[in-house]
Amino acid sequence: MRARNWELISLVPAALLVSAGFAAVYIQRANQLETVSLIYGAIFLGLCLGAHIFIRITLPHADPFIFPLVAVLACYGLVMIYRIDGATEARVQAQWFVLGLLLFAATIVWFRDYRRLEHYRYLIMTGSVVLLLLPRVPGLGVYSGGAYLAIHLPGITFQPPEFAKVGVVIFLSSYLRDHRQALASGRRILGYRIPPLKHLGPLLALWGAAMLALVVIGDIGSSLMFYGALLAIVYVATDRISFVFFGVVAFGVGSWFLATHIPHIDARIQDWLHPFNPTLYTAPLGSYQLANAQFAMAAGGLFGQGFGQTLLYIPGTTNALIPFPSTDMVFSVITGDLGLFGAVGLLVTYLLFISRGFKAAMLARDSFSKLLAVGLSTVIAVQVFVIVGGVARVIPFTGVPLPFVAYGGSSILANFVLVALLLLISDRARQPQPAP
Amino acid sequence: MLQPVSVGLKLGFLIILYLFLIWVAASTLFDLRRGVRGVRGGGGGGGGRTVVAGEATSIHETVDPTALLGDGNFEPRLVVEHATGHEPGVAYDLMEPVTLGRGDVELKLEDPFASTRHATITRQGRTLVLADLGSTNGTYLNGEPVTGPQPLHDGDRIRIGDSEFTYLQ
Repeated sequence: MRARNWELISLVPAALLVSAGFAAVYIQRANQLETVSLIYGAIFLGLCLGAHIFIRITLPHADPFIFPLVAVLACYGLVMIYRIDGATEARVQAQWFVLGLLLFAATIVWFRDYRRLEHYRYLIMTGSVVLLLLPRVPGLGVYSGGAYLAIHLPGITFQPPEFAKVGVVIFLSSYLRDHRQALASGRRILGYRIPPLKHLGPLLALWGAAMLALVVIGDIGSSLMFYGALLAIVYVATDRISFVFFGVVAFGVGSWFLATHIPHIDARIQDWLHPFNPTLYTAPLGSYQLANAQFAMAAGGLFGQGFGQTLLYIPGTTNALIPFPSTDMVFSVITGDLGLFGAVGLLVTYLLFISRGFKAAMLARDSFSKLLAVGLSTVIAVQVFVIVGGVARVIPFTGVPLPFVAYGGSSILANFVLVALLLLISDRARQPQPAP
Repeated sequence: MLQPVSVGLKLGFLIILYLFLIWVAASTLFDLRRGVRGVRGGGGGGGGRTVVAGEATSIHETVDPTALLGDGNFEPRLVVEHATGHEPGVAYDLMEPVTLGRGDVELKLEDPFASTRHATITRQGRTLVLADLGSTNGTYLNGEPVTGPQPLHDGDRIRIGDSEFTYLQ
């Protein structure tokens, strides 16, 4: 079967999912079955169909599963936001989804030859750094939960790290494509090859930048995201596991030093280790959110309590039991509502998406495409790990958006650009070879 | 009254999700198997687009993995990025050996830093090899001075003086 027909058929489950989800939430809320959920499902299917036809025309050879997997993630997000915040927010999210698809199409049209991006790599890098630092500009940045993550413009709140991650990955892929040979060479000292300092310099600078981001922006999650992508790209570019080893050690040492010297990072770690400690539980910005997320997930059991059953507010009041349920804590609400099976299903969806990204990297014929596909897939993988690991108390909690699921416009837009780039790489890589 | 419907819809949601995931995973597996057969079957055929076993990333291989898949797509060429006297974007065929330099050679450079016979690019089977001919100012491959003969990879950048080229195949 042709790749595009696979894609078309794969979109049907996504539309079924969104219809079933909306119907279940609607029953729970209004206690009656209405056709509105079917309309939502139909609109969603229509949008996906439009995007599919666009891909069919512009990228006929691209991976057939990347887009349907994204559609499933997006429908997960829409259903959960409808369930958490009601129809208004769900509509806003759906509008962002439409804008995201338009940006997706625009990216495919503008960067049809995405290797042009290499010419602008320093511009892209500078832009990304500026974006990352914007939240620190007084009067523009929003300080929440101990981190400067968003900027506030009239009408919209905008999360720069989401766009910066795409820019940083493009820069790293392009930079390491040119310097990988130099990095893999170098003098041997004590059995280890030490790369020439002039080539190692920019990488050390990036390590410093990730640490600086930790201090200046106060955000562990984003810096871990960038750093994970950096290590993955360096590993693929040089095939030297020692870089990864030293990178992890360097990050560990840096984080340990910062954790013991910066109060709010230390507070995050204490919340992670002792969420049920009464002092931390009642402290402002303490472990209240995290502890209640644990209870919500535990209540989910194997198959979940059903859509809309997880308690978000203390019964009889409007006080939040789980603050930020549609952004930070969306994963705990999913686990509460759909149980272990729903949560694992979501994680497997991400896993398959990431594996398709790596597959595109394997098939790509030039180094830049390979590194770019690896970097983009890794950045999503690390992002999912950071937020899901944070909610599930595997690592200290930091608020990065769950890609395609969490409520928020900038995240959706940036991730659609990312998917567009992956599809472009995949299309170029899978173009058929004429028979010998 | 609507409770069973609600539970049914939730389970339906999960079942659809898992069927979809199993289907995607199965197709991925099918894809992988077909790829393996493609290599075992003599490396030919149009079916298997595979990465040759060996290094996991395949980025470090001298021979491009696609080179095993037939002659059709192998067009080694040198694309001008910027060079005096050459139109940017023009591609020079590399199927025959090419010498670069200021003198009477195949690819003439009007670059003050280029030597008369500066560097050569020769084809050895499916691998293109760049060698410096003892030039005064050196040849740079991806920003690194070329010392011995260097195999070229798709997308490599070659710089001589102020002239820059990209190698594509």
